[in-house]
Amino acid sequence: MRERKITLLGPEGTNLSIFFLFLVFNFISWFTLFVLSEGIELNLNNILIRQIVFSLISFLVFFLLTYISIENIRQYIDSLFVIITILLAVLLRTTPKAGVRRWFDLGPIDFQPSEFAKVITVLFIANYLTKRKSRYPLLLFLGFTLILILMQPDLGTSIIIGFVIFTMIFVSEVKIRYLVLIALLVVTFFFVFLESGLINENQLNRINDFFSANDDFQQSQSKLLISSGSLFGQYFELNKLEKVFVPVETTDFIFAAYSYNFGFIGVVFILTMWLLFFFRLSQIINISNSDFEKFVITGFVTLLAFQIIVNISTITGLLPLTGLPFPLLSLGGSSMVSTAVIFGITNRIFIENNLVI
Amino acid sequence: MFLRNRYNYLALLFISYFLFIIINFFSLQILNINDSIEKIDQQTYDVFYLSAPRGEIYDTNKEKLVTSSLEPHLFINLRKINDDNIVQYKQYLKYNFKELKNSDFEDIFNSKELLYLVRNINDLDYLERQSLLELDAFEIFDYPIRQYNYGNIASHIIGYIGRPTLEEFEAYPESIRNGIVGKSGVEKYYEEKLSGIAGQIVFKGKEIIDFTSPLPGEDLYLTIDIKTQRIATESLLEGIKLANENFDSENIIQKGSIVVLDIDSGAVVSMVSLPDFDPNKFVKGISSFDFDQLNRVDAFNNFAIQGLYPPGSVFKLVAYWLAENEGLFPEGIRSRNNTLKCEGKLSFSFNDGSQQVYNDWKENGHGNVDLSSAIQQSCNVYFWDIALKIWRTYEGSSDESILQEYARNLGFGKITEIDLPYEKAGVVPDRKLFEDWTITKPELVRPEGWLGGDLMNLIVGQGAITTTPIQIANAYKTLLTGYSSSPYFDKNKDNIQKVKNYNINDEFIEFLLDDLNLVTNKNGTAYYAFEVLGSKANDIGGKTGTAQNPGGKNSTSWFAGVDSVSNPKYIIVTVVDEGGSGSAVAAPISRRVIQHLTGVDLTPVKFGEITE
Repeated sequence: MRERKITLLGPEGTNLSIFFLFLVFNFISWFTLFVLSEGIELNLNNILIRQIVFSLISFLVFFLLTYISIENIRQYIDSLFVIITILLAVLLRTTPKAGVRRWFDLGPIDFQPSEFAKVITVLFIANYLTKRKSRYPLLLFLGFTLILILMQPDLGTSIIIGFVIFTMIFVSEVKIRYLVLIALLVVTFFFVFLESGLINENQLNRINDFFSANDDFQQSQSKLLISSGSLFGQYFELNKLEKVFVPVETTDFIFAAYSYNFGFIGVVFILTMWLLFFFRLSQIINISNSDFEKFVITGFVTLLAFQIIVNISTITGLLPLTGLPFPLLSLGGSSMVSTAVIFGITNRIFIENNLVI
Repeated sequence: MFLRNRYNYLALLFISYFLFIIINFFSLQILNINDSIEKIDQQTYDVFYLSAPRGEIYDTNKEKLVTSSLEPHLFINLRKINDDNIVQYKQYLKYNFKELKNSDFEDIFNSKELLYLVRNINDLDYLERQSLLELDAFEIFDYPIRQYNYGNIASHIIGYIGRPTLEEFEAYPESIRNGIVGKSGVEKYYEEKLSGIAGQIVFKGKEIIDFTSPLPGEDLYLTIDIKTQRIATESLLEGIKLANENFDSENIIQKGSIVVLDIDSGAVVSMVSLPDFDPNKFVKGISSFDFDQLNRVDAFNNFAIQGLYPPGSVFKLVAYWLAENEGLFPEGIRSRNNTLKCEGKLSFSFNDGSQQVYNDWKENGHGNVDLSSAIQQSCNVYFWDIALKIWRTYEGSSDESILQEYARNLGFGKITEIDLPYEKAGVVPDRKLFEDWTITKPELVRPEGWLGGDLMNLIVGQGAITTTPIQIANAYKTLLTGYSSSPYFDKNKDNIQKVKNYNINDEFIEFLLDDLNLVTNKNGTAYYAFEVLGSKANDIGGKTGTAQNPGGKNSTSWFAGVDSVSNPKYIIVTVVDEGGSGSAVAAPISRRVIQHLTGVDLTPVKFGEITE
């Protein structure tokens, strides 16, 4: 056992590459929102100040999680899963905002439980796969949670959770033919729900129908925005190209605004940083003795990589719009903090495996 | 069991997709850059901006003062109107909406807009709305309706809205898209917070191809209490009516204001200015006739922050504070308890040999007065004597302006920085100002410049000094708490910075409260106004003021006080422009407001005793 411990950041130490990348992603987000914000005012309505406050909360969460051992997490994960499921159920009884029930309104901030459901689901499945024999009750639990999220309605998050569940079962020793069966079941289930879900949508007025019927326009505009970023980005250009119409620039379409401002170089930079992060995580697969940790890492990598892939694919018109945030870049407290939880737990796994750099 | 080789497949899949993304971006950003630039140049989209609902406004008890509701409106897409179908649309509108006039049709069909708002269709049922949509050029969008639930009450605090001018557009770029901007009151001061972001309706040719919903503005929570506001407004109206009936004057009295401050925080509990207006009239555009009529009586001026009045005797508290703090009493007097004999006039001579006689408002004099009774009975002689002593001791030296320094220390001569636009500062005159005025405003000053008589005028709040009611309220708040801060309306400012004034100690505050209490009790100038309260009056304190105005105007009627001297919670300042005696008009109005604030049954405003 190596005895190298960096006690500077938290009593249990901190893995420097994980922490460094966490900082880098936060700074990129600040800089992007700084570019997008019109002036800085010291209040929570300013997007940059908002994001910085969320970041600071994220740092706190990151460090608090260095105190919690992986064993502790395993102890409490079942209860956490029950709690988040109850929260998701309660959420459906609140008044809808913009036609959906996705957030708890907590004054200046909105709390989005489905963001945390993603992380908790990963931990729950990892624990389940390493402890129990039968896998069928698992699907029952997860199916219930998924339906709650679908009913918000939040198709994007449901698909992501579904995909994460699928990959985590895939890397366990389940036979491929069962996997195919599950996949078929899930796909059928989605279509059935979509059909019935569509009927419930008559609360959305004509305008919203109209809005969704014209996704192509937004995607073509966002492609033009990305394209005009060129090699170095428009941020440093004096005569900026404008005249494109991109909605929700600070959330779902933030990567388009990022590409516009920082160009191809910026895109390669941020994607390289994420790939570096995923390679670091994969190291655990090689050295850890704990299957739980390996499943957790698989879940986290899938969760983050899939979100990035889906987000970028939608803004470039390769997939229909789903409304998924880009991790640690999009403006949004719940998404920031839940991603901080992922980084914090990952950090703890590295420390327990005596990896500090 | 964890299967590592399956994880490797997964990793390979993700890496390939990331590479694919990079290739895709390379093609977009490097290979196709020229195509894209060309496409952007050729984009012939036009955008119609749809007003966002402004933030709603609440009072301190979360009572909604201003509502913004989204209601469906019928719009007409003018690009789809051509010579062939214009008649059909006209007839359809004429038949279905009888209230539309021929001039309306001209406005609609000659408009250069992309979309024209025809009317609110909230009154139509679902089927009727659907049948409208069968016509190709008709569109239905939600459009915000702003409603001021209390009409004239608190109109100067809330303000009104209107179309942005060029200057307003430059200051608030979003206002041109919303088509609306706050013109006064908190509607203007908090424009950026309230305005929201307009929705976008994108046109390609004559077809609408995209729609982004507007983002509503943020709600505003005010410190005012609408109940107190209503009662203060009623009381001021009653008082003004009584003043017109009882006061022998050729001029019609119609202007006045009331300020109620929370003494601890400086939050404005109520602020009334009369005459007032109904902000609802501006929502659909006020007629120029109505506007002129209101403007003629200065209804858009918030006199509480813009009315510049000589403060008269309510200003004596500045000299009171100076006397206590510097030990500067009239000649021959060493302490607050020593008395001088007031015989109703003060004869004196200046160094230049000029002989003068100043007459007190009370012809026979107040008898033996000390500092307390000088406040209680508003004895001018006592304070003139202080001014005389300052002048004789310090004339020409830098300490000559000691009274002005005390006044500025309390915030006179500068704005209080309350969160309302167009606040006025007033002036605290001194030698320097008079020298400036001999050049800029020679009609206001004598050629001799600043004289001892000007200081004697100033000490009793007369002469060139002008103050606003909010300045008086804020100065009283400072003197009664020892802390100075800006008054405010936005509840977010509840932790506003307070600056300790080290020249005001607890002992001074006790003395001041006791002496203000004498004013509303037996022998005090406001006794008659508060008599109706019986023993309750024992706990109230204040100071009356009757400030003379130049040019044949009646005196300005003042009262400034606290709801309770044992446990002060509120500062109340009442001003009636040309209202005459403070004891007769402003004091009884304030009394009714204090009755409400202290939970006593309200009694009508009663014309008081004419003093000063």
